[in-house]
Amino acid sequence: MTTKNIYQPFKIKIDKIEKHSRDVKLFRLVGDFSKNKDGTVFMPGQFVLASHFGYGEAPFGIASSPYQDSYIDLIIRKTGILTSALHQLKAGDEIFMRGPYGNGFPVDFISGKDLVMVTGGCGIPPIAALIEYINAHRDRFGRVYLIYGARTPADLLIKDKLKQWEDKIKVLLTVDKPAKDWSGYVGMVSELVDEIKIDSLDAVAAMCGPGPMIDALEKILRPLGISDRRIFVSMERKMQCGIGKCQHCVVGDKYVCQDGPVFYYDQIDKSWG
Amino acid sequence: MVPKVAIYDFTDCEGCEVKLVSIREKLLILEKRIDIVNWRLGQEDNKPGPFDLTIIEGTPITQHEVDLLKKLRQDSKVLIALGACATLGGIPAILDKKERAKWYKKIYGEEYKPRGIDALPLSAYVKVDFLIHGCPIDENELIRIFQELLAGKTPAYRGYSVCFECKQANNPCRIINGQPCLGPITQGGCGSICIKGGSPCYGCFGLRQEANVKGLVEVLQGLTDKKEIERYFTMFLSRAFDK
Amino acid sequence: MEFVIEKKKIDKWLDDLKKDFKVIDIRGKALPAKQYFLPPKQKTFVFNKKTKKLSCPEYKKEFLVFGLGLADLEAMTQLDEIMEKPYSDFFYWQKRNKSLIIGLVDESIEVAPGGDVILEKITDQQYRALILTDKGKAIIKDEFFDKKDKPSIKNYPQPDNPFKRMLLDSELLAEAVKWSLNHKIWDKLGEQCLGCGICTYVCPLCHCFSIEDQVSLDNKECSRCRQWDACTLPEFSKVAGGHNFHKTIKQRYYNWFYHKFVRAYHEYGKSQCVACGRCRENCPAGIKISEVLKEIVDDYKKHLSAI
Repeated sequence: MTTKNIYQPFKIKIDKIEKHSRDVKLFRLVGDFSKNKDGTVFMPGQFVLASHFGYGEAPFGIASSPYQDSYIDLIIRKTGILTSALHQLKAGDEIFMRGPYGNGFPVDFISGKDLVMVTGGCGIPPIAALIEYINAHRDRFGRVYLIYGARTPADLLIKDKLKQWEDKIKVLLTVDKPAKDWSGYVGMVSELVDEIKIDSLDAVAAMCGPGPMIDALEKILRPLGISDRRIFVSMERKMQCGIGKCQHCVVGDKYVCQDGPVFYYDQIDKSWG
Repeated sequence: MVPKVAIYDFTDCEGCEVKLVSIREKLLILEKRIDIVNWRLGQEDNKPGPFDLTIIEGTPITQHEVDLLKKLRQDSKVLIALGACATLGGIPAILDKKERAKWYKKIYGEEYKPRGIDALPLSAYVKVDFLIHGCPIDENELIRIFQELLAGKTPAYRGYSVCFECKQANNPCRIINGQPCLGPITQGGCGSICIKGGSPCYGCFGLRQEANVKGLVEVLQGLTDKKEIERYFTMFLSRAFDK
Repeated sequence: MEFVIEKKKIDKWLDDLKKDFKVIDIRGKALPAKQYFLPPKQKTFVFNKKTKKLSCPEYKKEFLVFGLGLADLEAMTQLDEIMEKPYSDFFYWQKRNKSLIIGLVDESIEVAPGGDVILEKITDQQYRALILTDKGKAIIKDEFFDKKDKPSIKNYPQPDNPFKRMLLDSELLAEAVKWSLNHKIWDKLGEQCLGCGICTYVCPLCHCFSIEDQVSLDNKECSRCRQWDACTLPEFSKVAGGHNFHKTIKQRYYNWFYHKFVRAYHEYGKSQCVACGRCRENCPAGIKISEVLKEIVDDYKKHLSAI
């Protein structure tokens, strides 16, 4: 019966906005974020509820480094009322935010192992945060691969980061519809599997769906010999409260907002679609 | 930029426009944010299009009205239907084309040449961006939709049934008391005003998304005969009933 | 020592309480007591566009909700728990902390299920006050209640409720409903259910809500509202962009049951149902939840004995 209002968002300033594709923008939000005792501000895979008053509130995975305490990055695709309104904002404008919420990827479990990350289009934010975490102490992890897919090369987001990451991890890009000068892969193809050299008994995978999830699972992760028990999936659902009350985000017995958004793949009740 | 708004009416009772006037001081607030450049019922000085928003009340009945509707569509960025006559065909559509032809002959004689072609909702002729349902419309819903439009949002339909508001109003459930009612399949937003006043819901707010019409008809069959059920649906939802 | 009130004095007592409280008598109301703590529609935040200040409407007035039966009292105790764990729901407690709950029970009580005071019927003309909290104690005034050492107490047995008996084994219910995913009953209910949401509105425990923002007509303030939602409605699990995670009424209806009997059991160790019977009484399609549940449990038992 506390008097603390868990729904109360705080004001946060937009430092800059970058256009990343036809309908996707990156928002850098500045503030003083308090660090946890391990030096992180949030766990990779956690999300915030960002709101623009009058237009609503929605969950967004944090895409910046968990060690960055002066800003966070949100990558937002224009899909509805809130995101359209956010896209009209300019640097210097203020929005509201609460969080971080959710569990995040189990980085301690992943450490010491080989890791294959698979995501597509706008599923990149939680994976980006995970990569930033890994790169902050690269020696703690085994061989690390990112497979990132999009519809066309123009839909690949945070291209500067993708380039930057190549120094520390193997980045494999794939598109459904290649452009003229495309030199990467086309589709979730088996050639990608040939590029990946991991110790399949001690490797884990991280995915952010739902786009390429099933395809990647069948064509890449299973052929690589990674068991469902070792695949972590960050799930997306409708969310309103963020604290396990409103019931919108349920998947069987789990609340994506509280128990997730990251789940062991074999723990997800598939009958819930 | 203040949006240029036009308000037109076709064949109807003009009751929904009266409702628009009856938002009173809210209309004055609205007036500051929009420029009503054409409103036959509300002002004398009317200008032609193009318009940012055109609100149309009533059912297009004559060829002239149908042509005007098509022109208004071309002249308008956003076109909104106001009231059940525009959104569903409403009162003029209670009689279907065949029946109407029969009564024309009976009342006016064989020689009579009616001006009316048919009574269909606006959406039968042009693309309509949003439907403000109701016979008449509800003031609060009208304000909500203006709020959303002025905030740059695409207005949203009410996702719940009349029953939500009916329960809040503490009305006894008609169906449970053995009286027909279309509330469960009808979109909310009306405040269950008819049921409050002792009348059934005839569905003037249109079907709720994914309404289970078949399920309700089965329930109603336990309460009354087929003819009576048809009568209920012909008020506003005859098109849903045919399906 | 017992505090006894004459039946005919109850209304006078309520009138007297109106001096200090807003008194709400829920007898005969279509919606259960939850509506006063989790209102069907409520403004939660207001943002002033000019001052850039965000404010949260305060709630000050003490109020008293009178007339809850046994099932409703139990429901309030459960709802308090739901709204407390794992995080306290500010807007619920904002009102709940300002309230008193008074039960009116015509059956003899074995265990008091909740509330501040319960008036329990002891003779055809009298009720005794079961005082459960300090707040409750403060409203028992000598003017209306007689102190009696040993009042005569008649036994008014609770009517047999097979549904309530079924709820006692919430573990079995959880297993049965979980197992029933492919049961033909969901197809039948998918056709029968009108999706009106009434069952969730009248349920004293259903607490789904959605949050909606508005910009005022004069463009001066933005408000955030939360309002009841119903998990049986089409938009409930639909995300911006259009994907719907629970596409059919059949899926949504199953999810409703799943929440009440499976998820709730795993979260709180009991079903989120108090056998009040409102969903059954108020369903325009005539769906009898208790019978649906019985069919599922019976078939589950058959399934168990077959393996």
